[in-house]
Amino acid sequence: MKTTTGKTYWRSLDELQQTAEFRDFLHREFPVAASEFPEGLTRRRWMQLMGASLALGGLTGCRWEEEKIVPFAMRPENRIPGEAEYFATSIEIAGMPRHLLATCYDGRPVKIEGNPDHPSSRGASDALSQSTILDLYDPDRSDALRQTRGRQSFRRSWQEFEEFAEQHFGAMEASGGDGLRVLVEPTSSLTVQALLRQLVERFSKAVIHTHSAIPRDNQLAGAKLACGSSFRTRYNLAKANVIATFDEDLLGLHPDALEHSRGFATGREPRVGMSRIYSAESQFSITGAAADHRLPIRSGDIGLLLAHVDALVRQELSERDKSIQLPILSADAMKFAEAMVIDLLANRGQAVIAVGPSQPPTVHALAFELNALLSNVDKTVYLLEDPTIIAKAESLAELVEVTNRGQVDTLLILGGNPAYDAPGNLKLAAAIAKVKTSIHLGRREDETSVLCTWHLPETHSFEAWGDVRSWDGTNCVSQPLIAPLLNGRSAIEVLAHLANDQRDAQQIVRDAVSRSLSGNLSSEAWAKLLHDGFHIGSELPVEKVGPTLMTDRQRWIQAIVDAPRSSPELVYVPSESVLDGRFANNGWLQETPGFLTKLTWDNAAILSPKTAEQLRVQHGSVVKLQAGSSSVELPAFLLPGQAEGSIGVALGYGRKAAGKVGGDQQSGVDSVGVDVNPLRTSDNLHFTSDFEITATGKKYEFATTQDHHAIDTVGLEETERRVGDLVREGTFKEYQQHPDFAEHRTHHPPLESLWEEPKYEGYAWGMSIDLNKCIGCNACMVACQSENNVPIVGKDQVAKGREMHWIRVDRYFQGDVENPSVATQPVACHHCENAPCEQVCPVAATVHSDEGLNDMVYNRCIGTRYCANNCPYKVRRFNFLDYNENLEEANRELVQLVVNPEVTVRSRGVMEKCTYCVQRIQGVKIDAKNDRRPIADGEVKTACQQACPTQAIEFGDLNDNQSLVALSHADSRSYGMLSELNVKPRTKYLARVRNPSPLLEPAAATLDTHHGSDHGHS
Amino acid sequence: MATAELALDPDLYRQTQPEQVVDGDHDYRTITDTVCSIVEKPRPPRAWYIAFAVSSSLTLMLFGLIAYLFTTGVGVWGNNAPVFWAWPIVNFVFWVGIGHAGTLISAILFLFRQNWRTSINRFAEAMTIFAVACAGIFPAIHVGRVWLVYWLAPYPSQHLAMWPNFRSPLLWDVFAVSTYATVSALFWYMGMIPDLATLRDRATSKVRQFVYGVAALGWTGSARQWSRYEKAYVLLAALATPLVLSVHTIVSFDFAVSQIPGWHTTIFPPYFVAGAVFSGFAMVVTLMVPARAYFGLKDLVTPRHLENMCKIILATGTMVGFAYAIEFFIAWYGGNGYEQFAFINRALGPYAWAYWTMVTCNVVSPQLFWFKKFRTTPWLMVVVCVFVNIGMWFERFVITVSSLSRDFLPSSWGYFTPTPVDILMFIGSFGLFFTLFLLFCRYLPMVAMSELKAVMPNPDKSLGEKKRLQTYPEEADKPKEADYVGGGQQA
Repeated sequence: MKTTTGKTYWRSLDELQQTAEFRDFLHREFPVAASEFPEGLTRRRWMQLMGASLALGGLTGCRWEEEKIVPFAMRPENRIPGEAEYFATSIEIAGMPRHLLATCYDGRPVKIEGNPDHPSSRGASDALSQSTILDLYDPDRSDALRQTRGRQSFRRSWQEFEEFAEQHFGAMEASGGDGLRVLVEPTSSLTVQALLRQLVERFSKAVIHTHSAIPRDNQLAGAKLACGSSFRTRYNLAKANVIATFDEDLLGLHPDALEHSRGFATGREPRVGMSRIYSAESQFSITGAAADHRLPIRSGDIGLLLAHVDALVRQELSERDKSIQLPILSADAMKFAEAMVIDLLANRGQAVIAVGPSQPPTVHALAFELNALLSNVDKTVYLLEDPTIIAKAESLAELVEVTNRGQVDTLLILGGNPAYDAPGNLKLAAAIAKVKTSIHLGRREDETSVLCTWHLPETHSFEAWGDVRSWDGTNCVSQPLIAPLLNGRSAIEVLAHLANDQRDAQQIVRDAVSRSLSGNLSSEAWAKLLHDGFHIGSELPVEKVGPTLMTDRQRWIQAIVDAPRSSPELVYVPSESVLDGRFANNGWLQETPGFLTKLTWDNAAILSPKTAEQLRVQHGSVVKLQAGSSSVELPAFLLPGQAEGSIGVALGYGRKAAGKVGGDQQSGVDSVGVDVNPLRTSDNLHFTSDFEITATGKKYEFATTQDHHAIDTVGLEETERRVGDLVREGTFKEYQQHPDFAEHRTHHPPLESLWEEPKYEGYAWGMSIDLNKCIGCNACMVACQSENNVPIVGKDQVAKGREMHWIRVDRYFQGDVENPSVATQPVACHHCENAPCEQVCPVAATVHSDEGLNDMVYNRCIGTRYCANNCPYKVRRFNFLDYNENLEEANRELVQLVVNPEVTVRSRGVMEKCTYCVQRIQGVKIDAKNDRRPIADGEVKTACQQACPTQAIEFGDLNDNQSLVALSHADSRSYGMLSELNVKPRTKYLARVRNPSPLLEPAAATLDTHHGSDHGHS
Repeated sequence: MATAELALDPDLYRQTQPEQVVDGDHDYRTITDTVCSIVEKPRPPRAWYIAFAVSSSLTLMLFGLIAYLFTTGVGVWGNNAPVFWAWPIVNFVFWVGIGHAGTLISAILFLFRQNWRTSINRFAEAMTIFAVACAGIFPAIHVGRVWLVYWLAPYPSQHLAMWPNFRSPLLWDVFAVSTYATVSALFWYMGMIPDLATLRDRATSKVRQFVYGVAALGWTGSARQWSRYEKAYVLLAALATPLVLSVHTIVSFDFAVSQIPGWHTTIFPPYFVAGAVFSGFAMVVTLMVPARAYFGLKDLVTPRHLENMCKIILATGTMVGFAYAIEFFIAWYGGNGYEQFAFINRALGPYAWAYWTMVTCNVVSPQLFWFKKFRTTPWLMVVVCVFVNIGMWFERFVITVSSLSRDFLPSSWGYFTPTPVDILMFIGSFGLFFTLFLLFCRYLPMVAMSELKAVMPNPDKSLGEKKRLQTYPEEADKPKEADYVGGGQQA
């Protein structure tokens, strides 16, 4: 053996020892059996071996997919596999702060609730925030950086971007950032604002622009007119006896809607007292539907209406000054105004006058002035500094102007999708194309990112650090609930990098928040802030200034009078579902029906039946809307209660690069709905009369969840006859005289049983829904969908009537077609004690539990659908097709993460329905059992109950006669829907009470109390 | 004297015979020849081929669609919420209804000694079984998870340790329909044994000999066999009789036991049974008229048979019309608003077109049978009977779909529109029905030869009527004996 120098490396002990086997091994080149193969092998043997290998080789294909299980070497703190953890966070949706509590299983968030501790949420949430969780796991979110050069596009890494940025922005430093423009969405985030300031420090010539498709600028401008400063307004509806809204959806799309909703509910407890709501609006809003008096009036006339109110108030206060002659409005409008004024004057200091963001600043100014005149300011209406204002920020129009002059070299777009939602007249796409370097940070490769030279994937709000200020200014922190799933970075991280800030995101946020809290935040305080989600007592102080510039009143009124007010008008409204288009790829929201139209997966030109008659269009006829050189075609939807001559179109639809749900031109997915942004102009963002409408003669089929088909006269008459029984209503006066008016709405023979009824000992779960509080906002629907893994079925299936929502909100119109009143009624499984579904199931797949739950045994269900036929409430939902197919597709693995592990995902062919959130009941029962105590009232909250912003839903144990639900069932307003069928529903409704003004009240309905003794009530 | 005159005039003799079920100069041999020759001919008529090609393609289409349904889900149909049951259930009730005539003719008319039934009973029974086969398909494929449909059966299962829900009418349905199918098939097959033996005995090829031989179960026609056979036949007839009433009664419970307005009515059992007999007879006539023409059976299935059936159609059609009227009356008289609306909605709502189609076809069209011309002209009969069948399909459609589409909560009202799969499956079920039927016509004795012979006066043509009576004048007012092949009951 030769001696070798240096280190010898050996592969095995055999090699080291140079055994005979090893030498043989070296010599043979192939291992034993392999080198024997060609020589001396019989045909038979070869066949045997090949056959066996083929068979064995084939067998490997039969194995289960290999899964890697990585055990925690160290278990993360407080994490027990399968146990839920809860984290507080806050997000901002188009400038609307939402304060949330996320339920996480094994490190992944699966359910969003309102933060129960936060004063402006108190556990409530809305449909939009509920559905953000689906956005987090949207597989269409972008997962890579992309750089476009000429026509070529390259995938890039963050490192490559950083190198590029260093070089590009480094070169700019010399010129002070000349030609650098940054476009951001208005935000209350202190961190973003601080970083923007840092950026401007580095590049002194850089200019910040802000853009929102649904801005609330007019209100700020109005405040500036009236108070001299751009104050934000905050309302306290709980304290208001009279609420007057002018095109303002206080309970719906207002950023502070959740707090308003709770205040509204507090103010409308008939046992205590009832506030009165007047709502003048062109589009039917949630507030309008909840109002006692609603006046459908064109948006263009609203200013004038307020001017009349102002004049009447002054007349009553005998403060006559040289009045401007106001053009007269319709008799209905004048009567409405008079009744409102009487109430406003009678409730000075206890009223709210609120004007919506679509109204011009002068109207807002007038409202400020009126609120001050009626001494509502500081009592129900508060003014505070607006935290979203970025100093020296310019508008999008100005950005386009300088870009078109060729003065912009680098455009940084942080979030938002201006290429889609900018007004058509700005021709933003052409402008962006002129910029040499355009960088777009966005969650998906959307309409804007395809125009830019760089696309950077943005994190979801649940993946990043950040901060948000509540509507009252309270400091709130967003914490990451999960590490970025798709290689994204937040705007804060990108800005910090560009501003040469080396701190990590958490530190930046912490520093920014500390600074605002004027001092250093100790680690404990920071931990508490993260735990609570907000810093108590950090709200902005209420400005004591009040409207000071009332002398300009005449000028405002003159401006209002001079404004063009021709009919018809076209009103752009944010969509209840997709808002400004940012939720276009969210299937939950797309499938959530419009609260009045019940329209899913679409927008439409909404007009009143009378307007339709004048324009000679029918429900479903396609109309062409033309403004300037742009035109769009979309179907007409006839909605009772729409103001005459007002045509409403929802923004946010017609996305061309939203994703596989909302429309993606590249993958051939049709857009959902029609994009109306091309019609908008930057000076007419909200409504305009400068357009033309023509019928095209084409027809269109809507996918609605109610009235799937046009209703004939026979059906309409019957509906009208039944509604009073199903959704019971009375006036406040009636309630005061007969608190039990609801149970007298229907009379039937006494309900008796043929057998001895089973007794429920232990818990007897039940629910009550207060129709007086329900505003029909759909939060419960999306909450239920999220909690119970309710599938999305798509537009075609909805059109067929196969939507799957376990809880739905029924809507009925009553009265005059042009100005109807609306009744909304959430309906889920009533868990009848005498359940008709249970009797007819041939395989006993739906059975009663000893706690009175009507349980659905998915495993046993074979799908005869007999139960659904026999259900009088029609709450059972059937999986006609495999609606969860997409969860199984390999490229949709991300979506699986949204599934609640506590709830079965149902297969095709299985019936499903509301379970009263049985998984939550069981969870609480286990906890209670471990602690050896009974379940406390309020401990079990169903998903719908938890989400409800007005706390209209109560759930609990009926056997505990002190539980809130038992008290509700015992309330004089309580009634069981269809209980004359003797099904003994466990869900009861509390009748709605309206509080009409005596001046506008229709002839009082007389209560029929004449009936025999032998009858039942329900 | 009168007897002598009678004896001399065979026509007069025939008129006085109460049970003249066959036209023409037939005796046992010619009957056997007529019926067996259809089966024994080397080739069936060309029309048979055309019909078979069409119907078997449709059957194939049906099975293809069923495969599509199984792989995709019941969403391929137009069913929705609230119309969770639609065409498949309509088709099921329709076919079960058609399946009623067979057993009625075989069992009830047999027990009532209506001898004219013998020419048509085999035919009608075959139709029953094929209709029940078509009917059975629909509820089975209708369930959402068809691979678990056996859970409907009450079998002792170890891992589930549970029985089906005996309170559910759907379970009663499983028993009712399966019992009915079993008894009808047994009854049909047993009645066929002597005839299969005849085919076996006449067979010229080994295959035929073997197949018919196996099917004939070793029938020799001995007196002992006849005696037992007849007893068993009566017993089966007695067993089948209540089933005629029970099947459709229980099918009607699917609706009546539920609480949907328009379903929840006590009149359903008799109303459904009358409707079933009505549609079953209409279907027999529809099939019988062309079959007797194509296969040369006009002597055996006489205008009298057809006329009798028309009378039954008229009677049951009127009963059905009466039931419609009573439903409306009770809806008004009962004072239940939901039920009142269900009926007003039927007549005036979005399904009014279906309702009035039903009324026209079921109530108005059979009234034409008051006119003798309609009862005796075969093609007119067929036209009316086709209308009746259309009407009866619509009756089930109106009951099922219009009631479901608008029940208690107006918010959940809907409208049902069928998909192409719905329509093609229904057409496909006709394909299956006719395929089975054409196979039956070609390979099995269409008319019950042995039973027919038993009610015939003239056993042997060569003897001649006159001659026989001259030889045995005392036979003139005595029914003849059943001799070497005669079977069944004596009149």
